[in-house]
Amino acid sequence: MAKSKLRKTFMEPLGKNNPVFVQILGICSTLAVTNKLENTMVMVLGVTFTTALSAWTVSLLRKMIPSRIRMMVETMIIAAYVILVDIILKAYYPEMWKQLGPYVGLIITNCIVMGRVEAFALTNKPLPSLVDGLASGLGYAYVLLIIAAVRELFGSGSLWGFQILGSWWTNWAIMIMPPGGFFMLAIFIWVVRETVMKEVDHA
Amino acid sequence: MSEFYKERVYPLIFMFIVTLVCIVLTAGAHILTFDLAEANELSFTRRAILDAAGLPYENTTIGIEEEYLSSISEENGYFTAVVDGKTRYIVPLAGPGLWGTIEIMAGLEEDLTTFSGVAIVSQTETPGLGGRIEEPWFTAQFAGKKGPFTIVEEGTSAAANEVDGITGASRTSEFFKNLTDRASAEARRIIEGV
Repeated sequence: MAKSKLRKTFMEPLGKNNPVFVQILGICSTLAVTNKLENTMVMVLGVTFTTALSAWTVSLLRKMIPSRIRMMVETMIIAAYVILVDIILKAYYPEMWKQLGPYVGLIITNCIVMGRVEAFALTNKPLPSLVDGLASGLGYAYVLLIIAAVRELFGSGSLWGFQILGSWWTNWAIMIMPPGGFFMLAIFIWVVRETVMKEVDHA
Repeated sequence: MSEFYKERVYPLIFMFIVTLVCIVLTAGAHILTFDLAEANELSFTRRAILDAAGLPYENTTIGIEEEYLSSISEENGYFTAVVDGKTRYIVPLAGPGLWGTIEIMAGLEEDLTTFSGVAIVSQTETPGLGGRIEEPWFTAQFAGKKGPFTIVEEGTSAAANEVDGITGASRTSEFFKNLTDRASAEARRIIEGV
């Protein structure tokens, strides 16, 4: 029983309750970082790590947190984890840290992190909260990676920095710029809702 | 009293403790990795100087350090390297970009006009567009050329004063050209005090 509930907690953010294409959360970073697959990977790992651990920490403290200052406490915990990610990247992956620049710090303002903490972790036990945070991060991750793959392929003719398309290919500059992110996200949401989500609704 | 404690005092104490724990954790992590972060920063600068001097090196922290210490000498405000009996001068330069300052190392041959190389130290141009000034093909094309430069369409530069611009980043290309055009005069000012 408990196991199946945990499984449901894990599966929901990946599919019918996906943070990006169902809840439309955290799309600011969807637009900003998805023009390169490599940057996107580090960003989604950062978000997944932060979401999972902040949810777990808040859930541990949930009975002690005075409700009137809960948002301050949540933000403080989230910010601490994000700064840890930043410090670790700076020390051990300096090239990546240099490329991502301000984006890592922006994880603090990613609505998915705060959203899951508020909606789930405050009322659930630590383990389910950790699973929910992890799954929300992963649900965010795969959507961003798909969008990034398409944008990098059309915008730079490459994937993960390796040139895929030959010199005959003219790069679509718009794919790399923020409008390309809007277009891709909209198309992605439309396709998913028209195909996969429709079946889920009927079932 | 208990109402006052619950509503006013407890939240204050709680927030104080949470903040304290968070500060201790992040500050601790910062202190533990401080030397490493400093070393990375130094390594980036040294690599830029080696790139600008046109010297080959193994792209690891140790490889960069060895090559740097054996071939580069630090002068007052600039760097020199002796390659094939001739001195190359490397000067730091900074200028405006589209969004922020672009900092580069410009390497010049003995004549203080011909480039031996250019390397980016820091830039905040649009990722994927102007940010492509960091790509090796872009900086590499300055080696052996003389300014002032003319920007031509990406992939078509031929003459010694032509450089490829970046498609979709004309403004950044222009800013970068202005910066490299200043290199020669700037180097004379720093080195000869003119």
